[in-house]
Amino acid sequence: MTALLRYQADLLLRSQRWLPPVILYVAFLGVGVQSGQPVLGSLGYTAAGLLPVAAWLVRICVTAEPPAARACVAAARGPARAHLACLLTALLVAVLLGVAATVVVTLISDPASNGHRVHVPRPRAAAAGLPATLACALLGAAVGALTSRPVLRSRGRAVPATLLGALLAVVPAGSPAQAAVSGLVIGSQTGRAPVPLLPLAGAALLTAAAFAATGRPVARRSP
Amino acid sequence: MTPMHRDLRLTAVGRRYGFRGPWVLRGVDLVVAPGTLTRIEGANGTGKSTLLRLLARLDAPSEGRISGRPRTAYVPERFPSALPFTAAGYLAHLGTVHGLGREAAARAADTWLERFGAGAYAGTPMARLSKGSSQKVAVAQALLADPELLVLDEAWTGLDAAARTELERAVAERTAAGGAVVFVDHDPRRLAGAPDAAYAVIDGGLERRTDPPGAPTGPVTVVTVRGAPGGRLPPDAVRIAVSAEETAPGSHRLAVPASRSDILLRTLLTARPPWHVVRVEPPFPDPLSPDSGSRP
Repeated sequence: MTALLRYQADLLLRSQRWLPPVILYVAFLGVGVQSGQPVLGSLGYTAAGLLPVAAWLVRICVTAEPPAARACVAAARGPARAHLACLLTALLVAVLLGVAATVVVTLISDPASNGHRVHVPRPRAAAAGLPATLACALLGAAVGALTSRPVLRSRGRAVPATLLGALLAVVPAGSPAQAAVSGLVIGSQTGRAPVPLLPLAGAALLTAAAFAATGRPVARRSP
Repeated sequence: MTPMHRDLRLTAVGRRYGFRGPWVLRGVDLVVAPGTLTRIEGANGTGKSTLLRLLARLDAPSEGRISGRPRTAYVPERFPSALPFTAAGYLAHLGTVHGLGREAAARAADTWLERFGAGAYAGTPMARLSKGSSQKVAVAQALLADPELLVLDEAWTGLDAAARTELERAVAERTAAGGAVVFVDHDPRRLAGAPDAAYAVIDGGLERRTDPPGAPTGPVTVVTVRGAPGGRLPPDAVRIAVSAEETAPGSHRLAVPASRSDILLRTLLTARPPWHVVRVEPPFPDPLSPDSGSRP
């Protein structure tokens, strides 16, 4: 698996297809986060914005190779494992991006609740923000996995499905990402920063299920 | 170099695309044993590639069972080079994916590029390789880690004459080392005389082909060796030779498919006691001469 991950990561970095989602995410943060704003609200924004970026990264990774090159790798390691390596690479990059963004946002934001009423220590804020970011990266990867190859293969269907899926994963109540993000937003009003471990666990479970479910039809639905 | 643990076995395998699609293959029974060379024939669009994808476990059967999981390498018929690596960089990655260590993979990449005459392109970005050179990369990728099962889907197409001969030799080495090789090629002279079994895909089924006696065997190298009078040739040497005759006491003339001449010589020279090689006569026509018959 290490060899597959190293190959996929190198493929992603050299292809430079990671640039558009990363630039979009940086722009999104540049517009929405300014230094001196309440830290928890900004962290919520940071986490929520990562979800569609993670979904996009998955889409990039699973379509990075031409089918013939994919077949060479799949013959060596099995199609399901080759596909899982694509998903994990995208998830890993999304997590790294999210962690970096969380650290930067925590450092430049005002360590207080809205209106400077309650002091929120930076480590405490980071402890609340990181699990929320991870939950969003995980769910985004799950959305990406469920809305691209091999589940949806035509680009015309896959791209709108990814966008819709990302929206549905952030907005409605009951989604782990929504729970984690709204925990931060509410925390920003009250000054208490809950650590969203339950949403993180939920997101991890859902993502594991999505990855497992998409691994199965890889061989069935080739070429 | 470990031989396949078990046979790869297809039992009543069928494949169709979609729930109601027509059957591409149906009722296919096939055993691929370690150390054997298997040829699959058939007209275009009959399902040869589907069968090879099933053998490489790239595709799952719609019905029936496939058992056995050898370490597999696959060469597709067209290898697009739209990958952001150099040839050597890609092969080094694929070597580790095939299970080699990083240094061993880089070494194997250089060796195989060199063998196929693409050593000069090691540092060239894949996107700038010609069609033939990227096919060499595809072939090298499959041979890096001595696979237990090598699946070649018209792998010779696009290769130059020297690389085609080199691939035939590599296939002979692989089977001699206990690996199984399954191939499709439109040239009936490809590895002629060498396959242990040939099958034709006809109407979605698989039929075993038996060559009529006296069928052309393709280019043959004739090797004359001398040993102690009354000495017996090594059984492996007799097995791969298409004919063996004792011309004088202790002197033998062996005819062997050109792709397997190296294997024959190695067997004879490493036998105990070793045989003395008196003469090696190249095949006629020489597959490397420009007007020979082994065009793709």
